[in-house]
Amino acid sequence: MHGLDLLSWILWMPIIGVLGVLLMPKEKTTAMKTWALINTIITFALTLVLYSKFDTTVSGMQQAFNVRIPWIPQFHIYYALGVDGISLPMILLTGLLFMLCILSSWTQIKKSIKAYFALLLLLQSTVFGVFMSMDFFLFYVYWEVMLIPMFFLIGVWGGENREYAAVKFFLYTFFGSILMLVGIVALYFVTGQTDSSFDILALSGGKFTTQTLTLFGQTLSFSKLFFVFMFIGFAVKVPVFPFHTWLPHAHVQAPTAISVILAGVLLKMGTYGFLRIAFPIFPDSAKYFATAIAWLGLINVIYGALCAMAQTDVKKLIAYSSVSHMGFVMLGLAAMTVQGMNGAVLQMFNHGTSTAMMFFMIGILYERSHHRWIVKPDGSRGYGGLYTALPVYSIIFIIGMFASMGLPGMSGFISEALIFLGIYQRFSTITVLALFGLLIGAAYLLWMFKRMFFGEVNPEVKEYSDMTKLEVLYMAPLCVAVILFGIWPSPILNMMKASVGQLVSLLATF
Amino acid sequence: MYLNYLANVGRYIPELLLVVLMVGLILIEATYANDEKNKKYIFIATCIGLVATFAALIANFSANGEAIFSNSMIIDPFSTIMKMVMVIGTFGAFYLSSFSKDIYESLKTEFIILAVGVLIGGMILASANNMLMIYLGIETLSILSYVMASLKKNDERSSEAGLKYALYGGVSSGIALFGLSHMFGVLGTIQFAGMAEAIAKLDNTQIMIMMPSFVLFFVGIGYKIASVPFHMWAPDVYEGSPTPVTTFFAVVPKLAGISALARVTMIFFTVQSPLRVGWVGLMMVMAALTMTVGNISAINQKSVKRMLAYSSISHAGIMMAGLVLINQIGVRSVVFYAITYVFMTLVAFYITSIVQDKYGNDHFDRFQGLAYRYPVMAVVMTVVMFSLLGLPPLAGFVAKWNIINALLSSRYYSLSIILVLNSVISAYYYLKIVRLMTLKTQESNETIEGFGFLNQIVIVALSAPVFVLGIFWESIMGLAEGAKIFIK
Repeated sequence: MHGLDLLSWILWMPIIGVLGVLLMPKEKTTAMKTWALINTIITFALTLVLYSKFDTTVSGMQQAFNVRIPWIPQFHIYYALGVDGISLPMILLTGLLFMLCILSSWTQIKKSIKAYFALLLLLQSTVFGVFMSMDFFLFYVYWEVMLIPMFFLIGVWGGENREYAAVKFFLYTFFGSILMLVGIVALYFVTGQTDSSFDILALSGGKFTTQTLTLFGQTLSFSKLFFVFMFIGFAVKVPVFPFHTWLPHAHVQAPTAISVILAGVLLKMGTYGFLRIAFPIFPDSAKYFATAIAWLGLINVIYGALCAMAQTDVKKLIAYSSVSHMGFVMLGLAAMTVQGMNGAVLQMFNHGTSTAMMFFMIGILYERSHHRWIVKPDGSRGYGGLYTALPVYSIIFIIGMFASMGLPGMSGFISEALIFLGIYQRFSTITVLALFGLLIGAAYLLWMFKRMFFGEVNPEVKEYSDMTKLEVLYMAPLCVAVILFGIWPSPILNMMKASVGQLVSLLATF
Repeated sequence: MYLNYLANVGRYIPELLLVVLMVGLILIEATYANDEKNKKYIFIATCIGLVATFAALIANFSANGEAIFSNSMIIDPFSTIMKMVMVIGTFGAFYLSSFSKDIYESLKTEFIILAVGVLIGGMILASANNMLMIYLGIETLSILSYVMASLKKNDERSSEAGLKYALYGGVSSGIALFGLSHMFGVLGTIQFAGMAEAIAKLDNTQIMIMMPSFVLFFVGIGYKIASVPFHMWAPDVYEGSPTPVTTFFAVVPKLAGISALARVTMIFFTVQSPLRVGWVGLMMVMAALTMTVGNISAINQKSVKRMLAYSSISHAGIMMAGLVLINQIGVRSVVFYAITYVFMTLVAFYITSIVQDKYGNDHFDRFQGLAYRYPVMAVVMTVVMFSLLGLPPLAGFVAKWNIINALLSSRYYSLSIILVLNSVISAYYYLKIVRLMTLKTQESNETIEGFGFLNQIVIVALSAPVFVLGIFWESIMGLAEGAKIFIK
């Protein structure tokens, strides 16, 4: 693959898209949309090429794709990209979801179309950057740059309370990541400012177990302190309780496509950070804090589910269900067993597809009803009888809902089952308690479904039209994904097996 | 000591050029007072003068330090680079003044004359090699600044600003002089090199006297860079002064103060002693306080200029943090920070000034919906705001990263954590402008005359370093690396 630099192409293809959009005149909206679509299709095709060339037997970074070019040699900063079994599912997911999001935004976005598509493509590039960076500095740059398009995408095209949501999102994430920055620079000096001081792979392996540092006159363990800092940085993104309060606002206010990206890809950046950075670099501290992480994961599962149950806004309900589902990922990570970790990575992928479906479906419904109330604030029903009025919509909705509930045969089931297998070996109490989370999960989803789809047909609902062909078109890949990977998860499991195994064996030595 | 004054003059051309420019401007003003071409001549003369000074500074650049004029001044890479930055800042403020409506038409020439005077003071301060020159620099800088602050003669706030500035300035330079006299008393010399040698030999009692005298000296410099707790004057002065003057104040006197502080720190506290511990402690506390107080006060401001004033206080705090280290890595990061700070500040003030000229005030609301009327300007302002709060891949991030880098190279974890948390606080108020410009819907369709084609180009050009230095910062970093401070 030398000379081809597939990863660089994937990373920079959306930027080519941005430039194209910016060069087009403002009025040519269809041309811009088509261009953005073609661009994302090419990007997705490139990620598929990456998948086809990926060697599933190799753990760690695949030599064939590595890119390492000096950026600031003075400070040993490299433009270093790489891909392994943990990042590949995320890269595929990113490629897929952005393509579908362009389609979904086709009719839903009505103001400042040029800026919207430019920012969306820019966002895609930065997300790829996060998942591919092998240089800590580069990783941080992408991690932060991502805030800029996201801030505007929520803030300009969002709902009524969008400004508040955008600012809250920005400040929370910025706060989380800025502490990580101190960790990055501290690592740079602890490792002696060599060529590998920003190299994520070279840093990993638990080299900092004995170092100490002085902070405000207190002597602390280097590893524990910076693990906590990085934990906060990633936990804000996941979001782990108690850093989750930005999420419902951001999700509810963001336009459909952005909610999808947020839930489908951006939340995974947090857990990806744990897998790629926090755990490998500070395995001793990860072990040390495992119980705490597991309990936080449990709180996420139960608390998120209970919050979801209380919602009357269907989008907010799904937003809280994301909190709950990401809690399962945290549980899988805390388990640090082969099954648990595999389950966590699989859950990251599966949650990406199922929750994206749910947000798409809500967006489609919102376009017709212009509200999202299950129960309106005045106590009357928001919907009712959708099943009778919109059969196609209902069937796709059911597929998404069952996938997200974790019904056997659907994708969610496999990953949650693996997570429970993994965690039971270490925390049996937490496992039992977390199972209640599944139960509540089924309860709130079915209850929501009952209130929206069954019962007498609401007069308003009769006027809604069923899904258009375009809408069915962009829902189809996700339907296939949630069913296919529910029955046959091995393509994804094979992809990550080797890399996850390597991480687990590293953690096991501490 | 054998002195070749004439040869020394050769190294002093930039300052002399400025003196010539200042006198020349006075002559032009006097000769063509009633001529319509007056403004044009002044503009051309200033352009030529400042560009020539900049060119002379480049020519003057050498990797070594050289003491001139009986050791009273030192020309080293550090001072030369800081002077270049100050010249850029002056040029920016001068161009802003040429179209700003906030400054009386008849007083524009006076503004430039005074600004060049302040610049000379700043340059003296940057290359001072003994305590007397530092004091002279501070005074040259200050006395002209007082006049500049009250340039809007009929405006109450401007007069108040001038008076406040003068009162605070007089008191603090008095205190600084008091500190200097103690130093002379203990050490018996005012030459930096001699003082540094003498300090190394002090016994504990003498150090006990030296410590408060350095604190007193710090008051004088701290006032110039608006370090907490000597920052009270800054917001009032910044708000009351005409905007070009504010722009100028945010750059030149501040950077001149920082460079003097850097030199003093690097000369006197290199050897390990209780004095060094005390000074580092003082600087750490002051830097942390300056950042935090500046940022927290900025949150609640309603006027953009005032917000920028407080934010510039916090930036001074960040630069001070870089000086805590007392080594070349710290100085390097400060120099880099100064270079980026100039461009970010200039752009922010340019846009604020133009908006203010249109509406007569600079409340945050005036920025509402700017993105829909002037997308390019809004993008530039947004970029500058993101850069000021330290978001990659912009220059402000690299600058902040360098400071953190420097702090952690000597394991100052606490200060670096305070610094990054301050970035989060600052994000709130910088985002406020971005939010108003882009997220709010457009309210009016009025054109803002200030955003003419030429001005837009100038603003975009000024913001170019903010982009470029965020990604390709090696060359400037190499330049900053060479900015060594010499003791001669």
